[in-house]
Amino acid sequence: MRDARLEIRIGGTGGQGLILCARMLADALCARGKRVAQSQTYEPTSRGGFCNSDLVISDVEVDFPLTTALDYLVLLDRLAVKPSWPLLKPGAMVIADTRLCPKLPEGDYRARHLPLSRTGIELGSERVANIVALGALAALAGICEREALEQAVRAETPKSFLDLNLDALAAGYRLGEQATSIARVTQ
Amino acid sequence: MNAADKALSPKAAVHLISGNHACALGAIAAGCRFFAGYPITPSSEVAERLSRMLPEVGGVFVQMEDEIASIAAVIGASMGGVKALTATSGPGFSLKQENIGYAAGAEIPCVIVNVMRGGPSTGMPTRPAQGDIMQARWGSHGDYPIIALAPASVREIYDETIRAFDLAETYRTPVVLLYDQVIAQLTETVDLGDTEGLMRAERKWASGPREAYQPYASGDDGIPAMSRPGAGYRVHTTGLNHAENGFPTQNPEAVARNLGRLLAKFDRHHDTIDSWQTLSCDDAEVLIVAIGISARAAARALDIARARGVRAGLFRPITLWPFPEKALREAAAKARAVLVPEMNAGQLSLEVERILGGKRVDAIHRYNGDPITPAEIAQRAEALAKEKK
Repeated sequence: MRDARLEIRIGGTGGQGLILCARMLADALCARGKRVAQSQTYEPTSRGGFCNSDLVISDVEVDFPLTTALDYLVLLDRLAVKPSWPLLKPGAMVIADTRLCPKLPEGDYRARHLPLSRTGIELGSERVANIVALGALAALAGICEREALEQAVRAETPKSFLDLNLDALAAGYRLGEQATSIARVTQ
Repeated sequence: MNAADKALSPKAAVHLISGNHACALGAIAAGCRFFAGYPITPSSEVAERLSRMLPEVGGVFVQMEDEIASIAAVIGASMGGVKALTATSGPGFSLKQENIGYAAGAEIPCVIVNVMRGGPSTGMPTRPAQGDIMQARWGSHGDYPIIALAPASVREIYDETIRAFDLAETYRTPVVLLYDQVIAQLTETVDLGDTEGLMRAERKWASGPREAYQPYASGDDGIPAMSRPGAGYRVHTTGLNHAENGFPTQNPEAVARNLGRLLAKFDRHHDTIDSWQTLSCDDAEVLIVAIGISARAAARALDIARARGVRAGLFRPITLWPFPEKALREAAAKARAVLVPEMNAGQLSLEVERILGGKRVDAIHRYNGDPITPAEIAQRAEALAKEKK
């Protein structure tokens, strides 16, 4: 069972809340009894520069806590493509923001281009693109019960942003679910 | 603060916490009630956590003006009878070295957390390295003994923080808790439900007639009793070489006697100080020796190598200094070759070569900020196994 691990990366730039949204997902998974290791790389600047937040999820203790073969890659900026591409597992799913990461290299993967940041802007703030992405990822990957994720988002969000974050999560789920049904039709 | 943090109570067994958070929790559990430090990436979360936690348990948190003042305050607090901690990273660890030597020479218990980032100098603040292995042992001038512990997981940081205080108090010594940026800022599910067995040592305090007390005289254990502040014993503490009475001396016999005792202080206590982990060593033809994130990669590399028919094993020193030499020799007895993956230009491999004199020792040295991967280690282990005898 040692290899029954799932690897996820949320990549973008510093300041997008990548670590926060990975922590929310980790909290939700931990609450459901999963073993999780969440790591990150970031630049010594508070905004900008390549930043990623990784999750290794397993039913047993995680031995090597860093990602080596990504099952899911979420891209919120084109900066994250190059450093993440060599880690893609064959057949992995790449969820990319249509506006901030329009072009993807060739490869053996399933692409889902979604208007994550656009949806955030329409909801009132681009800052919630991370939560939209979280909802879309959860819907597409089916790794986490929605209730647990909502609970984690509630626990991590200041009161004044709670409605916005919950709206962003729901919008993300819708995007993910739509993408799933479109993929089914085209297959 | 996330949900898991808020829910943190001794009754909830599984938590999702970072390595630096685990260090702060371990310090509180160990009875640490004083922290002085100066924030530096990637160790700042230790200070940040303790700035909230210490006042809640009646402890003191001070953000000092710099790293030198921080270790000085920690030494002072410890002399005042309190378990004390500072936390830093490479550049701050360099600044603290003179006073670490003072703590070693004057035998003042204290714990120094050094989260290793890229170096030299300010290096790479947010990238991991393991380049302070030798500095932890030899960073201050002159001859002195020191203990350094090298945890490799969030849970182990908790345990080893507690053990760091226990060893510091028991043996009157500074203890360095040495871990890399990956482990420090890694958030893992940890089970804190079975921490009852961890030791909680208290300092050996002076007792008996006041006139007879000698602050640096010891019995067979080599550890002098400290005077509890205000207990009425006469104490003199100095960084100068001193005799049993604590006063400076340059008398060759007195220096040889007292410095000799200091340098041999851990020799009789390897049973309690040494700590290590072995994985699949019994039949190993290639023995991997690693710490921190490199050891986590090596643990996974064992599976990859064994699936390819290479009998690989792992020796992981948890007590890094004094190095568990005897245990390494035993683990390596049957191995044809030894592999040391480490995030520096060659430090742990030097010690392994010294201890295993004559054994084939290969190494992976990485200093660009990228952790060494399990696949790289497995590949090198396979190449070593295939080398002609």
